[in-house]
Amino acid sequence: MSDFWDRYGRSVSICHRMPPVLKLVLAISVIVAGVAIPVRYWPAYGVLGCLVFAGHSIAGIPLGYLIKRLLIFLPFVGSMAISLPLSQGLDRGWDLMLQIMFRGCLAFLVSLWLVNVMPFEQLLVTLRKLKVPAVVVAILAFMYRYVFVVWDELDKMRTARKVRSFSGGSLWFRWKTLSQMIGMLLIRSLNRAERIHGAMCSRGWDGEVRWLDDSD
Amino acid sequence: MHIQDGYLSTSVCLATGAISLGAVGYSLHRMKDSLGERTVPLTGMMGSLIFAGQMVNFPIGLPVSGHLMGGVLAAAILGPWAGCVAVTLVLVAQWALFSDGGLLALGANVLHMAVLGSIGGYAVMTTVRKLLGGGFRGTVAGSVVAAWLAVLAASAVFCLEFRLSYSAAEFDFGNIFTLMVTLHALIGVGEAIITGFVVSVIYQQRADLIDAAQASRNSVAASVSRVVAAGLVCALAVAAFAAPFASGLPDGLDSVAERFRIAAADQSASGLFADYDAIPMAGWQGLSVSVAGIGGALVVFAAAVLIGRAIPMTAPTIAAEATGE
Repeated sequence: MSDFWDRYGRSVSICHRMPPVLKLVLAISVIVAGVAIPVRYWPAYGVLGCLVFAGHSIAGIPLGYLIKRLLIFLPFVGSMAISLPLSQGLDRGWDLMLQIMFRGCLAFLVSLWLVNVMPFEQLLVTLRKLKVPAVVVAILAFMYRYVFVVWDELDKMRTARKVRSFSGGSLWFRWKTLSQMIGMLLIRSLNRAERIHGAMCSRGWDGEVRWLDDSD
Repeated sequence: MHIQDGYLSTSVCLATGAISLGAVGYSLHRMKDSLGERTVPLTGMMGSLIFAGQMVNFPIGLPVSGHLMGGVLAAAILGPWAGCVAVTLVLVAQWALFSDGGLLALGANVLHMAVLGSIGGYAVMTTVRKLLGGGFRGTVAGSVVAAWLAVLAASAVFCLEFRLSYSAAEFDFGNIFTLMVTLHALIGVGEAIITGFVVSVIYQQRADLIDAAQASRNSVAASVSRVVAAGLVCALAVAAFAAPFASGLPDGLDSVAERFRIAAADQSASGLFADYDAIPMAGWQGLSVSVAGIGGALVVFAAAVLIGRAIPMTAPTIAAEATGE
């Protein structure tokens, strides 16, 4: 599953070889432009759209993947945006809804480009270079390291629950079992964190984050 | 729940970003002296857990399903400061891995879920817990109430941000507030129930985790600031309910009373929560928000009582299942 999110992060293209800070700046400026330009200057949006698609095609991200991701994304932005005309008695607010959805999709495509040309490790190194506090980067790195472990643990618990056929029951009961699953997952994760902390201490951890030379 | 880019204007994004940056910076500063060298593993693992916990879908009898948000949960285990940092970093990672939630809107999302959810939620939780004299019941009730109020407060702040992003001429904000608050009163009930169940399981198995987070410095200044923060969250939640009255009904109390009478007559014919279609029609804001507020408060209260009673009886079975890996 993890492969789906940044599937093209490790391919090679001009976009991937750009300096990481430049990628971040490019993405942020396109998103800001997309949100800040008033709708009446609509040709600017055409330019931005072309820029985004050019970026994706240069990075070698196939159109099918973009469409797949957009289809997952659209219900989220759509369900929130539809509340605008819905709250106005269905006769106003449509233009604002379209505007929000369009801007949302544009920003989403830009984020998608960034995720697919900049692997998470590279983002961490970049954040270090941008003088983000070491402890923040360390926690992010730790999270990225262990989120897959916790996911696996959750999968095991789900399987165990299915095997023992804890699935039916009233809505209240199902919510209870699911919440208890999260609770047990939390306890196991914190136990794991304690074990990891012990292992870190025995290797000389004193709370100070130290990095190898991050010149790459 | 995540706000995407495009909803809020750039200036509002920058303002919320500045507030969030300040709050998270302060949290980072405070976090280190409460967790010490355990900061990185504990906060990181909590972040991973919330990340994974949000993958568990809770059925609500409709095609869509809900999930945990986790601000109050993180604060209940790690305390307000580390909780705030953990939720913030979850939001950052969700953007950086999934493109979930906007980049410019990150400040607003952090304000809603991390600052209000963890710091505000913790203040409410501790206050309620103290009022009820601590223990299992107090802890669970505190977390249930805190989770509901934190979601409502977030919706009030979102409405304010939305109002500041667009000019008043564009459309009627009273209606959008109504829809948002009504929806969030329901979403908040879901969050409250999940948080209550999770906290009660943890209290059964590892009460030390929660007690450690709750046993913060008991100086006068700390308790005063907790009460102030809790009051702020409650005020925001109340403001969420008051907003439609204020902006949708400009002609004052008389018209409120008038609409209440008419609405009450109609309401008797049509079932308790059944009238979301009626929200777009003019004049229903007051009623639907009141119903959502009072109904939500009752459900949250019932959930606090029920969860407090339901869990102890079944705890041994769960423990047996969970430890038999």
